[in-house]
Amino acid sequence: MAEVNATLKRIQSQKGVQGAIIVSSEGIPIKNMLDNSSTVQYAGLIHQLVVKARSTIRDLDPKNDLMFLRVRSKKNQIMITPDKDYFLIIIQNPSD
Amino acid sequence: MRAKVEETLRRIETHKGVIGTIVVNAEGIPIRTTLDNSTAVQYAGLLRHLSMKARSTVRDIDPQNDLTFLRIRSKKHEILVAPENEFLLVVIQNPSE
Repeated sequence: MAEVNATLKRIQSQKGVQGAIIVSSEGIPIKNMLDNSSTVQYAGLIHQLVVKARSTIRDLDPKNDLMFLRVRSKKNQIMITPDKDYFLIIIQNPSD
Repeated sequence: MRAKVEETLRRIETHKGVIGTIVVNAEGIPIRTTLDNSTAVQYAGLLRHLSMKARSTVRDIDPQNDLTFLRIRSKKHEILVAPENEFLLVVIQNPSE
């Protein structure tokens, strides 16, 4: 747990990072460095997107799997790292 | 204008590591591709749905925001999706080492 905290702190202190959320495989945020209402909103919406992205990859090739997702928008970018039981969401201002 | 588009597409298509490119129209149909037709059709349909989902995710979080790019990395390769108006440019590449 201490290692998780330390890693999250390191990510959070990177230039441009606005927030970091760890979400369970059911879409429930279990650790976050963002305000609560934003966290819940991000967690739920991105969980659905990750499920969709994963099934897209698997539909194309059942032996393949999703490793990383980067969603870039006008205002920021969201990076998602899925794992077996959790996924990590980082919201960052894109580097100029 | 047409020549410039061709030139850009060709530059992408011949880039090191690029496995294939697809230009998808508003109906989800590939209108230009370096892949075989059935593969292109499959990618086009699935990626259109995924990029629509990504776009609505971004807009649900902030209605004034919009999706500009999507990068999907899998074990075997990486798919880049650039939406523009109703079109999609899809590039499949071997991830850079």
